[in-house]
Amino acid sequence: MEDVHERELVERCRSGDERAFQELVDRYKDLVFALIARAIQDRSRAEDLAQDVFLRIHRGLPYFRGEARLSTWIYRIVANVCLQDPGRAPRALSFDDQRAEPAARASPDRQFGDFELRDRLEKAIARLPANYRLLIAAHYLQGVRYEDLAEALELPLGTVKTQLYRAKQQLRRILETDLR
Amino acid sequence: MFCDEALDAVEAIAAGELIADGRVAAHLTTCPNCAVALEHARELERTLRQREAPAAPAQFTSQTLARVRRARWRSDQFLDAGFNLAIIAIVVGVITGVWMLLHRTGLAAVSSDAIELFGTAFVTFVQRAVPSLPLYAGAAALLASALGIWWWAERDAAL
Repeated sequence: MEDVHERELVERCRSGDERAFQELVDRYKDLVFALIARAIQDRSRAEDLAQDVFLRIHRGLPYFRGEARLSTWIYRIVANVCLQDPGRAPRALSFDDQRAEPAARASPDRQFGDFELRDRLEKAIARLPANYRLLIAAHYLQGVRYEDLAEALELPLGTVKTQLYRAKQQLRRILETDLR
Repeated sequence: MFCDEALDAVEAIAAGELIADGRVAAHLTTCPNCAVALEHARELERTLRQREAPAAPAQFTSQTLARVRRARWRSDQFLDAGFNLAIIAIVVGVITGVWMLLHRTGLAAVSSDAIELFGTAFVTFVQRAVPSLPLYAGAAALLASALGIWWWAERDAAL
């Protein structure tokens, strides 16, 4: 049922129906934005890149043959946009980063508390290579399956799992050593 | 059982995708370093699952659609410019081709005679028509006045 509606939506978009494209944007904007914002960690840049994704979708719809699911095709475009982003190099982190201060002040005795751990986690993720960041961002979004990721990144399922374990391993090491 | 082997499995165990078998389970209970790594991996897994998914800004759809419209307009402009250039190139090509054909076949001399003939005919026509111009102008003015009066009468009748 969902697939039928998706195909109809794609067909309407292809025939130039602007309302259909608006529906498509409304349907996928949160997913696309969340993926990019998690991978890029710069909100305004993420917004710009998310719009780029929809521009590419608009341009690419006439060539979308429907062999893959629309969401998989969109993940692929997100992956390309994130990996091609020139500002993707991990930024250097300093321990006196201003954004870390409120957390440290608010809970000095909760060194391993959730809030601080999340803050450290974001810093650690920023230090991962772009492909690992994207995998972490996508895997922990609700509804994104290993199979979708494998298809979107054109990688075997096993490779996706291995890369995700490696990404988490690297993340754990950064958290245990550099950011402790 | 070596630590490396256990540490390789830690992420999968923490994600609940692998159940530690006897050897690995035994190692994880006896090796404090690997046990801590598993504990950290579980904590990391939990935090990653709780990580907030940022929602798109309120104006995202309208801004995106505006950007799509701008891009489409630019692409249309580009297409139009390309089309116009192609038409100009074709017209120039056709004129050049006709000119070359006339020169090659010797028809250029005939065509220059024809142009001269048309020129003479035009001059003769102008010379004959010029004396009658005031008459034509007067007739046109009369017709315009009649039409004006008719339009004015119609407008008043309608009111």
